Amino acid sequence: MERRDCFRLLGAAGTAALLAGGCSPVQQRFATVRRTKPLPPLPKGDIAPVARLLNRAGFGPTAGDLAAIPSDAREAWLDRQLKAPAHDEDEAWQLRLRLRAVEANRHESAYELRDMKEDEVLEQLQKAALLRAAYSQWQLRERMVDFWNNHFNIYARKVLNTNATYARTHLTYFKPLDEAKVIRQHALGRFPDLLKASARSPAMLGYLDNNVNQKGVANENYARELMELHTLGVGGGYTQKDVQEVARCLTGWTVEDRPIRLGEADGAILRRRGAFRFDPKQHDDGEKVVLGTKIPAGGGEADGLRVLEILTAHPNCARFLSRKLVRYFRGDEDPAWVDRLAAIYLKTGGDIGAMLKPMLLAPDLVDAPPILKRPFDFLASAVRVTNADTDGGKGIQRYLKEMGQPLYEWPMPDGYPDTTAAWTGSLLARWNFAFALTGGSVGGTQFRLDALKREGQEAPDEAALVETVLARRADDVPEVRKALAAANGPEEQLALLLASPAFQWR
Amino acid sequence: MAEQTDKDWCFCDGNGGLERPRPTRRSVLKGGAVAAATAWAALGLKPSALAQVALRKDGEDGRRGDILVSIFLRGAADGLSMAVPFGDDDYYRARPTIGIAAPAKSATVGDGRDGKAVRLDDFFGLHPALAPLAPLYHDGTMAVVHAVGSGDQTRSHFEAMAAMERGLFTDADRESSGWLARHLLTAPPFGATPSPLRAVVFSNVLFDSLRGATDVSVLTSLADFKLNLPRPELAQSLAQLYGDGVAADAVTKAGHETLAVLETLKRLDPANYTPANGAEYPGSGLGGGLKQTACLIKAGVGMEVACLDRGGWDTHVGQGGATGWLASQLDDVAKSVAAFVRDLGPEGMEQVALLIQTEFGRRVRENSGLGTDHGRASCLFALGGGVNGGRVYGKWPGLKPEQLEAPGDLRVTTDYRDVLAEVVAKRLGNADHLREVFPRAQPRFLGMLRG
Repeated sequence: MERRDCFRLLGAAGTAALLAGGCSPVQQRFATVRRTKPLPPLPKGDIAPVARLLNRAGFGPTAGDLAAIPSDAREAWLDRQLKAPAHDEDEAWQLRLRLRAVEANRHESAYELRDMKEDEVLEQLQKAALLRAAYSQWQLRERMVDFWNNHFNIYARKVLNTNATYARTHLTYFKPLDEAKVIRQHALGRFPDLLKASARSPAMLGYLDNNVNQKGVANENYARELMELHTLGVGGGYTQKDVQEVARCLTGWTVEDRPIRLGEADGAILRRRGAFRFDPKQHDDGEKVVLGTKIPAGGGEADGLRVLEILTAHPNCARFLSRKLVRYFRGDEDPAWVDRLAAIYLKTGGDIGAMLKPMLLAPDLVDAPPILKRPFDFLASAVRVTNADTDGGKGIQRYLKEMGQPLYEWPMPDGYPDTTAAWTGSLLARWNFAFALTGGSVGGTQFRLDALKREGQEAPDEAALVETVLARRADDVPEVRKALAAANGPEEQLALLLASPAFQWR
Repeated sequence: MAEQTDKDWCFCDGNGGLERPRPTRRSVLKGGAVAAATAWAALGLKPSALAQVALRKDGEDGRRGDILVSIFLRGAADGLSMAVPFGDDDYYRARPTIGIAAPAKSATVGDGRDGKAVRLDDFFGLHPALAPLAPLYHDGTMAVVHAVGSGDQTRSHFEAMAAMERGLFTDADRESSGWLARHLLTAPPFGATPSPLRAVVFSNVLFDSLRGATDVSVLTSLADFKLNLPRPELAQSLAQLYGDGVAADAVTKAGHETLAVLETLKRLDPANYTPANGAEYPGSGLGGGLKQTACLIKAGVGMEVACLDRGGWDTHVGQGGATGWLASQLDDVAKSVAAFVRDLGPEGMEQVALLIQTEFGRRVRENSGLGTDHGRASCLFALGGGVNGGRVYGKWPGLKPEQLEAPGDLRVTTDYRDVLAEVVAKRLGNADHLREVFPRAQPRFLGMLRG
């Protein structure tokens, strides 16, 4: 490859790295991303616990993972995952360079992004999400990003409901910062910190209309969902009166939408349009009572913070969150696990990692019911298990949409459904993706059969493919092998495996 | 309100209409299968696939309500030209040039060829281009609701459609999901697992009414719903992977179902589908969409909702009268819908609720460009075996200047959600979830549907 080709390949974002390191090291890194060494055989012993862990705590194993992580190394793997940083600095070069090229992630304010088209921002956001789910070494963090992005769902195509007179703005422009500073920043941290960041996120304030929640004309939308969907759950012990009181506490929590102006009478300030702003003039400063706790008059911005404290310290919040985590990771609502996680929540002040660890390491995780992969899970796991190389762009995003899960486009505040019935209608699109991927017709996505062969093989044989894709020993799935009999070569075998019922579950 | 225009023709009890013996479900299915088999024979193919599908529906997991066919006229269709209030003299004062003439006094109904309204009752008549729909009205399977609309005051197409497709009276911002999506989320599917074609949009883009549903297929043509395989024989391998679908998990069942639907569509060959009863669809987008809708209904693939739309209604200039631009648009709607009804036949229409809606109506007074500007209320048509047809429902607000809503628009006297909620409750089998489907609404049924 010519140096010039490197530049073209990497785009402007990679240029700095190239200037620092020259072409050849980068080129080398690119070459190693596609595994050229043959895969080692599956380890002896029970592979199910590792396979289950990687499918539940992450987006499934890559082609080499099952051989690389022995069953007794699960705790070490998980402990490392729990220490994931929020940044991308320690990711593989290829991923870092591609993420740096995502312009939407490089801005600190929604208004700086407005030169880009809305669809372009949305495409870049999805691209970053797909790339991280498929390639990040911090799989548990990305899993939790998926969980929180749905828990704190934001519909990017909503128009910001603002009192300002200038052009209306789609929430798309606010979501990149929410994704970085709220969701990814706190994905494995403490829930109260996450909730506080979310409550001050312009994307959330805009989505649930708290930016127009003002003294005398309260808007209860955010206050209600804050309790119903974010903390206590339906039947979590709050009344309509509580909703109204919480809304009053949060009056004046808004998005800065005044024009930028320097040198006002009250001091020279450069306003950051699109940032969080507490507007004391719109705050209802009277006394409030929230869930039986009196909040004295004159608290200002602290009223809202007090509400968040009351909610996150509530035992019903611990239970609601625990039930949701158990459902998401185990696929059931096992009462013993819900109790245990709720106890950890209350003891640790909402430490998310501390709640996850025992559940993910428990021997009974392999016996928990299967969970149907949502389209995003399916795509990421297919890319991982085939060691495919995708740019995460329009080519692969098309399939997300066809399967019914274009990211950031779920209109309701409850996030994409997690029921099996919601997603069985997407099988045709999954099958078409499986054959397109192996046939090399997914735009921006390459797949090399070579990457899946095992030691001593010229090309991967059927048994090797079955074991890699399904994480089952080939002898244990005779009915699958029977169905593969008519396949013509390894590409077709692989496509059928990705399209098989077994690969739809995780 | 002046007495003579305070005409209230709402028969809210729903009795006294044209009651016809209602076929039992079983006989409908048999009839459908026979009709389909005839179409089959016309194609020179064996009817086995269709017979099989019909039998499947006859099981305990069969249909729980009507199939909804929703046609949205985007751009604000002029209700005053579609269902002409010829009995209201103010109509002719406001529309001296583009008004549609009253039907001839002697004529009982009229056929529109005289360029005059086709009589519905003593007050209303259909635009002559809608004449093909008049027989449906008079045989009791079509109803009209007039002065219907939302509370949207912006008169912006975008805002009004956004509110209406979300099932809101006003303020589209208050809800992000569509009313049909909420219906599908709360109603049990017709089959044991939802059909892969449970909801179909014949368009390039998802309609807002279905935003928030995960099981929607957006198809420009039925040919889009296909398996892209390097070799057709691989379908057999897939079928083997998904087994017989009996006593299997949800994915295996759904996969089996999806393969069956694909097989049915392949054998049905929608591209060469021949409508029954000599029905001839126009070559328009709406005609093509309805033709494919009919094809899917006959195939019995578990479709519950079909959504179509049609533009061309924003007639600010040169609207025309009995002929002209608007007439040509209405001509397409009438011929497309009449062909659909004919194709399905009475048995087929027994399982269909078809709605024709628009986001708002147009200014009462014609403008200097002989068109009409954005207004408020319009009219709505409902067709199907479950419709208490042959009537115009609603409360006529009158067209005198003081009876209009500023700056001169037909007032909305019926909340469009009253109509949709009645459809959801009585025909789509989801009466228990009206609160979810239409949040904050307190629907009052007009009695325009049986059930």
